[in-house]
Amino acid sequence: MVTRRILFALALMLLMGFIGGCAEKNTAEPLVPTAPAQTDQQQAVVPNSKDNPSPSVSATMSVTVYSATKDAMNLVAEHYVIPKNTHPAQSAIELLVAGTKNTDLVSVMPAGTKLRHISIKDKIAYVDFSDNLVKNNNGGSASEILLVAAIVDTLTEFNDIQKVQIMVEGKKIDTISGHMDIGEPLGRSEKIIKK
Amino acid sequence: MHRRVLSFLLLLIFMSQQVGMAAMLNDSVSPAKAELSSLRWRVSKDAVEGTNKLRLVIDTTGPVKINGTLSGNSGTQLIVDVNDGVVGKIGDSVALDGDIADKVIFIRKNTTSSQIIVNLSNAIGESDYKIFTLPGDSSSNKSFRVVIDINKPVPKVVYNFTAGLKDKVITIDPGHGGSDSGAIGPNKTQEKTITLAVAQNVKTLLERAGAKVLMTRQTDVDVFGPNASGADELQARSNVANNNKADVFVSIHINAFSNPTVGGTATYYYKNSSYSAMLAQNIQDNLIKSGGLMDRGVYAAGFYVLKHTDMPAVLAELGFISNPNEERSLMLPQTQLQMAQGIVQGLEDFFAQAAKKGGGS
Repeated sequence: MVTRRILFALALMLLMGFIGGCAEKNTAEPLVPTAPAQTDQQQAVVPNSKDNPSPSVSATMSVTVYSATKDAMNLVAEHYVIPKNTHPAQSAIELLVAGTKNTDLVSVMPAGTKLRHISIKDKIAYVDFSDNLVKNNNGGSASEILLVAAIVDTLTEFNDIQKVQIMVEGKKIDTISGHMDIGEPLGRSEKIIKK
Repeated sequence: MHRRVLSFLLLLIFMSQQVGMAAMLNDSVSPAKAELSSLRWRVSKDAVEGTNKLRLVIDTTGPVKINGTLSGNSGTQLIVDVNDGVVGKIGDSVALDGDIADKVIFIRKNTTSSQIIVNLSNAIGESDYKIFTLPGDSSSNKSFRVVIDINKPVPKVVYNFTAGLKDKVITIDPGHGGSDSGAIGPNKTQEKTITLAVAQNVKTLLERAGAKVLMTRQTDVDVFGPNASGADELQARSNVANNNKADVFVSIHINAFSNPTVGGTATYYYKNSSYSAMLAQNIQDNLIKSGGLMDRGVYAAGFYVLKHTDMPAVLAELGFISNPNEERSLMLPQTQLQMAQGIVQGLEDFFAQAAKKGGGS
């Protein structure tokens, strides 16, 4: 009886040590459980996922998505662990569209915005949203700055994306709410990220 | 039976600790010197500020220590000393596109250290670059890296402004208008109404001081035309200043955000000359003094009208229409006048400061 209990405790210790070891590579931020359900969970190798986990957890990958601080000053990185798939950049934008679950942060996407399509060519991501991106934005430049930076910074987390062209209903747009010039591909902004 | 399993488990725990310690020992005993193995680089526009930045990433086979200095008199060379890192298969030099830097040269110093020399296209200042190292991560196939970020320096433009507002040509741009209401407050106040009211006050005050004022719009209209593309509408506003060779351009806006408690005043500029930042700071300081809202600060931003105007230009976000208290206040003629007085005093302070800096009388 006693040995069995010790045995159990030892087994538990082993298991915990093992999990602890695996988790070391992950970031300190809390990991949010899978957000939108992935339709195709292929076991493909994803070369550009941020943390390629050890074989024992190879069915998941980590993606980083940015949300705004409540004072509209900065972006904060949130790390999600999701089932591994062949289109991590699309998954990251879907998480950005779904919005943050953290009540200390604010989602940047205008209500009802959908991701229509995303493609990557010559290290530029062309990310195409539904017209709610423009129609449902609240018109403030504070919102526009955070929205543009969150889209660009979320996508430039991936090694194969250096710039981002934001599109609406299949076309390049000059501006979202009449302040920012987004007619050409934009690169990462580090300064707006709260570290 | 149990005992055997028990000892097996104990052995496992013991072994796993040994492996961990061995791994730690390996980390502390550094083997051969790290080598600089490859260079990647890119020039891209900062998503927020709209100005170009160069990022150089140098892969190294292990950790290195780095220290960067700008070469003494000219500031046209960035020298990065690399300790515990030698030049490997990266080669002797890599040519860049000449936008921010022309060439990167790798120098063998001795058996343990090397130098990375970046030949810059234009002189930069101490605040224009950042150098750091990133650790390797075998699980994501990333090697140790040295990262060098260099901002495109602000162009050295000199304006010969005189002090005072008399005879200055000033373009005032009341944000939005016509088919574009701008942001809308919780009590249905439209941004375009407030920006026009404040702009008209600014016009009156400036003309009283002897300045010539060009308004991008004087009524509730689109400047280019109803429902035009963003670029057409914003270029039309920029053209009013460019075509009339205005001395400065001031765009007036009201901010909005999803959180209704957010409030305050902020002023934006584009990094096209040091005068734009100077103008932004003077206008912001006086808006805070006379408007009394929270000071959110002065920021560089890639706003269309700031990028496409040829003179010192700012965009002032007077307050948040999404904040019920600020919406109510911004509707009052009293607040609109105070904000206008802040802008006019900011312009006067700017010309005084610019006159001291860049000649004139």
